[in-house]
Amino acid sequence: MTRSYPIIPLVSESSTSEALGYPGELVDDWQQIAIVRLGELVNGNRALAVFMDTCTRCGACADKCHFGIGTKDPRNMPVARQELLRSVWRRYHTFFGRHLPWLVGARDLDRAMLDDWYSYFHQCSECRRCAVFCPKGIDTTEVTMAGREILATVGLGQRYSQTIVEKAGRLGNNLGMKPAAIANVLENLEEDLADELDEHEWGGPVRLPLDDSSADVLLVVPSADFFAEPHVDGLLGLAKVLHAAGVRWTLSSEASEAANFGLFAGNTKHERELASRLVSAALALGTRRLVIGECGHAWRVAGARLAALMAQMPEHKGITLHDVLDAGRAEHVCELSHELLVSGRIALDATRNSGKVVSYHDSCNIARGAAMGQTVDGAFELPRALLRASVESFVEMPRGTTHRETYCCGGGGGMLADDLVNVRINGASPRAHALAEVVKSHQVTHLAAICAICKTQLSTVLPLAEVGFDLVKIDVVSLHALVGDALVPPHPGES
Amino acid sequence: MYAVGFALASYVMLAALAWRMWRWYHIAQPLPIPLTPAPRSRIGVVLRLAREVLFFRTLLRASPVTWLGCMLMHYGFLLVLLLHLRFLLPELPLWLVPLIAWGNIANLALLAGLVLLLCRRVFVARIRYVSIPSDFGWLGLLLIIVISGMALKRTGAADPYAVGRFLRSALQLDMLPLVGSAVMWLHLLGVLALLALFPFGKLLHAPGILFAPTLNTRAR
Repeated sequence: MTRSYPIIPLVSESSTSEALGYPGELVDDWQQIAIVRLGELVNGNRALAVFMDTCTRCGACADKCHFGIGTKDPRNMPVARQELLRSVWRRYHTFFGRHLPWLVGARDLDRAMLDDWYSYFHQCSECRRCAVFCPKGIDTTEVTMAGREILATVGLGQRYSQTIVEKAGRLGNNLGMKPAAIANVLENLEEDLADELDEHEWGGPVRLPLDDSSADVLLVVPSADFFAEPHVDGLLGLAKVLHAAGVRWTLSSEASEAANFGLFAGNTKHERELASRLVSAALALGTRRLVIGECGHAWRVAGARLAALMAQMPEHKGITLHDVLDAGRAEHVCELSHELLVSGRIALDATRNSGKVVSYHDSCNIARGAAMGQTVDGAFELPRALLRASVESFVEMPRGTTHRETYCCGGGGGMLADDLVNVRINGASPRAHALAEVVKSHQVTHLAAICAICKTQLSTVLPLAEVGFDLVKIDVVSLHALVGDALVPPHPGES
Repeated sequence: MYAVGFALASYVMLAALAWRMWRWYHIAQPLPIPLTPAPRSRIGVVLRLAREVLFFRTLLRASPVTWLGCMLMHYGFLLVLLLHLRFLLPELPLWLVPLIAWGNIANLALLAGLVLLLCRRVFVARIRYVSIPSDFGWLGLLLIIVISGMALKRTGAADPYAVGRFLRSALQLDMLPLVGSAVMWLHLLGVLALLALFPFGKLLHAPGILFAPTLNTRAR
């Protein structure tokens, strides 16, 4: 409860903030502007309005946050993080806070408070684990988003997230790849696959189509899948699956990014503009199915929010998602692969992955952000069904660390920045300890995930985790890399 | 004097509570934020909320000790409130009769729950860290009401039916004289404060939970 140290994420470049419509540096009358913006946000968002009023500080969430557990900083308890904003809300927007601040724990928005906001609203990965334990249904994510939006409004945008939002808005993806570069990367990947796979067994080359208007399925993946390790193996595995099943699919150079950092920064306008590309690309290519690849928050945006976002898109006025997509909604790649597996269009042979002992990390946004499949628990069942069909040995991590209570990887919510690596290591420690248990008891060798951020974060920080022994030998893998490895070629033995 | 205060407090409470709920209702929720896994049907949402409101199911998962304190406190309070109807209503409702035997247990449950919750705030470091003065204030206020009420019951220092007649008349701003002890006035004053402050503090969590978009929204 005592350790405390300042975490100050890098502030945005002036030019980036200005390009996003925010001031380039801290404005002089930041206090007044912040208080007004806080009022606007609370009075324009029912969740926030209710959450400002209903917390009883019962402490149910206090020991549930991976950052709280990992950093041992009491201000990283979800209730304490919320109180940073709520105490200021009371101070300037409620009767008792204005007149009896000492009684109701109302605090001034001074420079120290502003600095605390900047520090602690960037030590939250918006993973919603605390909300799972809140008896009033309060979700810290909404508070963090509001806090970040206010900070950006007064000129304190976070460099990592703002850079990405700006780049994605301008060039279409977080990595800033232009269409020609994407085409080039995909060509190289096709060549790699051609070298690796027997053309007779696979009935021709496995392709990674781009902007193919004859396709039925538009696949949108996080841009990390184009070349980062271990992400790219997931994309290749998926390409094999779709090839084997005979699905006509395509990637899009217009919607070349599934991720949407507008969500993290709490700016609905940016979130909407980035999400709009998904709809535009589906319309342009005429694909009647939109499938989201292995990316956690992309699935929250596309799976739970796209229809509502679309209603606010001026460029798609007058049409709904039902007019664009047969299913009337975006689908998750696990829903598609599971459908192919169950209908017998692909066959998986777990012995092809023999020797691998695999555990599975539920990504926070997939577990708690959007529904998958037809059942309430589809977001847990579908990936596990694919995994069980793909490997001989699947081991669950301890109860309370998976499914809806899954620990976040510690890198989500715009925190995957190099300047935050110390917080990220602390934030990953509950996950690392849960993993260490099954490594000891079941000699787990691989950890599968279906989120680009989880994969980058876990493969970076697990080797640094202090769990009593080395986790460096654990391979973090894409679920669809394992599925692709287990996949039986369409014409086995015909070489 | 008290009569006016009581009438005012009652009407302020109802009006302010209605205003708070009206405000929540009329603030738009820009985007759906169901906390998944979430029910797919309306009936599922109703059941989810009912489990929270009636059994504090999430709290049980999060912290069994707090859950115990809250169950004792809330259900003790509910029963005590119901039993007070026999003083407040002009005639004794028949359905209340079997509950009367539970009066002492309800009082003790309410008291035990409050003490348990207070102990958590005082002795558990992380709860103490997030507590603000008004958190202790609410518990203190409820403890004053409960302890003075139990004292009244034990000593018979006031005729509760006479107080009931007095309060009924007060609501119509019609002053009946009332003689009573200091303990009785403390009890009534506590209730007055509770009524008047209810819509302005964290006790709003009672109606508020129904408005939480995380819980009351269906998954796609």
